Amino acid sequence: MTQTLTEDDLYRASTQFRLWSFSPESLAVLRQKTHELARERGRQYGSENNDADGMADHLSKEEELQLVQRYCEQIRTTSDHFKWPVQVKATAVQYLRRFYLSNSVRTYPPKEVYKTVLFLACKTEATHMALPEYARRISTAPEVILAPEYKIMQALRFTLDVRQPYRGLKGVLMEMLNMAQGMVGQVEGVETKGAKQLQQDMLLLEQPGHHDRTPWKAPSSGKMEVKHITDRINAAYSAAKALLDGPALLTDVYFLYTSSQILLAALHLADEPLTSFYLNTKLPLTSDLRPRILGTIAACADILQTFSTDQILTKEGRDGLEARLEKCRDPATRDLVKAHAAAKRGSESDEEEKIRKRKAAREKHEREGDDFFGPSIGGKKG
Amino acid sequence: MSRLAQPKASPVSKRDGRIGGVGGPDEICPVCKSSRYLNASLRFLVNPECYHKMCESCVDRIFSHGPAPCPIPKCGRTLRKHRFREQTFEDLRVEREVDIRKKVAAVFNKREEDFGSLRDYNDYLNDVEDITFNLTEKIDVEQTEKRLEAYRQANAREIEDNMRTAAEEKQSFAQLQKLERQQARQRREAARREEEEERREVEENRKDVLSRLQATGADAETVAKEGQRVQLRKRMDRQAAQDRQRQLQAAEDVRAGNGSSNFVIKGLKAKVKAEPEAPIDPFENLRFANTYYELQDNYIWEGIQEAKKDVRQTAGGYDVGEFARRSLVAAFSGLGVFVADEVAERDRVGQDGEVSTVRAAIGVRDMETG
Repeated sequence: MTQTLTEDDLYRASTQFRLWSFSPESLAVLRQKTHELARERGRQYGSENNDADGMADHLSKEEELQLVQRYCEQIRTTSDHFKWPVQVKATAVQYLRRFYLSNSVRTYPPKEVYKTVLFLACKTEATHMALPEYARRISTAPEVILAPEYKIMQALRFTLDVRQPYRGLKGVLMEMLNMAQGMVGQVEGVETKGAKQLQQDMLLLEQPGHHDRTPWKAPSSGKMEVKHITDRINAAYSAAKALLDGPALLTDVYFLYTSSQILLAALHLADEPLTSFYLNTKLPLTSDLRPRILGTIAACADILQTFSTDQILTKEGRDGLEARLEKCRDPATRDLVKAHAAAKRGSESDEEEKIRKRKAAREKHEREGDDFFGPSIGGKKG
Repeated sequence: MSRLAQPKASPVSKRDGRIGGVGGPDEICPVCKSSRYLNASLRFLVNPECYHKMCESCVDRIFSHGPAPCPIPKCGRTLRKHRFREQTFEDLRVEREVDIRKKVAAVFNKREEDFGSLRDYNDYLNDVEDITFNLTEKIDVEQTEKRLEAYRQANAREIEDNMRTAAEEKQSFAQLQKLERQQARQRREAARREEEEERREVEENRKDVLSRLQATGADAETVAKEGQRVQLRKRMDRQAAQDRQRQLQAAEDVRAGNGSSNFVIKGLKAKVKAEPEAPIDPFENLRFANTYYELQDNYIWEGIQEAKKDVRQTAGGYDVGEFARRSLVAAFSGLGVFVADEVAERDRVGQDGEVSTVRAAIGVRDMETG
């Protein structure tokens, strides 16, 4: 009984697919549920505090999402400031997004959470910086950074692996460079005319269109040579990488598409003829998956394309939202540091419970002794 | 009837509390007529050749100078001193029978597990008992002996195997180990001897070549080739001689077994040869298939090329091919996974309670992407 696993099966086994992949509808439903739960709770403590305008001035769902997106951008800036590799950035942003799928900004404002998320990501992606140094460089107290960590882990359901598209992009780059040199591996089921022919076809590819993001321009002489193709491939790679770094992280594509589809969509946006040519060598024309795959890549590319940096909140917008948030936030989680310290120490009631149990056990023991031998003659001792 | 060798009974002398074994206080030696009454430490020995009893002093006197005929009148069989031994049973006939049974059991030592059914095993035992009976009652002794010998030759290996299993069961583990060590030592010795021989041969050959070079003064290459050919021929001859000898042995066995006294055992279970163990498969029948790419030997991307040359990367045994493979798997892992459909399927199959919410949520779909 031989079981064969393809690359798709490998992806289906990951937690990113099992727990953190949604259809657009289910994503919206989840966010709606979280938002409404927070609103419920808000009504409760709003009525407790007898706040006149607490109920009216809650943040809408869109505003919450914008705040989260703003802080994703903040994480990216901070990570660049630390000069950490791009994997840390991607992981941290995804952690933040996943956290706010099941928690609301009213309970845990992103301002208090994003530094911890970045610290957690640097630990996960093997660029661990010691806590005191990290705290010093972003001018925050270490306890403040550690306080929400357990909550974040719980919200992440302890699944810390984020599948990223960067390594895959390098793989595609390697294959395309080899193809340009005339060395190519044959894929099963796909009709190609051989390595040399592929190389020739590459040289005859049409120019990238206007909306393609690649900075490459055709040589002025008009005759394409192998080194021009190599330049073209490298330019497409950098453009795709920039797309993955910015728009991919600041949109929901990680929830809606797989990392392979995201990277091919970024390449598609960067240099459309090159990517189509590459996919033609991978997907046989007769397979029924081909139109679906191409459709999915196109949809993902749309999302990436429609994103622009002016969609992100400005600093003033953020400050405004945070001021409103301050009025309607959950008072129970106001002091995260104290809550964290209390959780580590163990609560008072635990101690009392232990004392009570011990006393009960001692009395029971005495009573049993009486039952067996009868009551002591000189009256109860102790 | 137990098919294992009979255990050695404790010497009777201990039980009797007397030195000298069985027999009453006035037992006399048939040869010298001396009685125990006169000599308290009289011991009687018996020879399994003719089962005649005589006292120890007679044995010493008559047989110390070599084999001699038995002194009992009417029995002239040549006896040897070292075959005399203490009598274990009172009755000499029993002693004789026990010896015969021991001999037969040493040859016919199959066990019940080797037979397909109980009936076959009992038939086998019956045949063996026939042989034993013939030998004990001296009926057709010669023919029976021949049958015994023939069977022994024909099934030498199996007898050995069975004997070995019986012996192993008796021996303790430590003794087994000691045995193995010994055998290993012997094998090593044999191997070393062979090595020595080979080396000597090579030396001889070399000397031969040199002498030939000297003598004929011919071209060095031809002489060297000639020398190699000679060596090869010698080795082949030796191997051929060994093979021939082994074949002869086998042929003789077969011929010996094809006598009139061919012992046929019916109903043996077919011994299934255990097939050699397959190499360990770490993934236990799990295979990984590449559907979108074919891993090539060399990638010209400069990252790979530099890593190949960098000593810091390659010294530890890092394989850049692994990086290429991982990158390519990551590039296509999930390409055919359509998240929206599969998640919807999963939700529908998993929790029926959620269905209504999903359907209701379609009406609530947001246009946002941020």
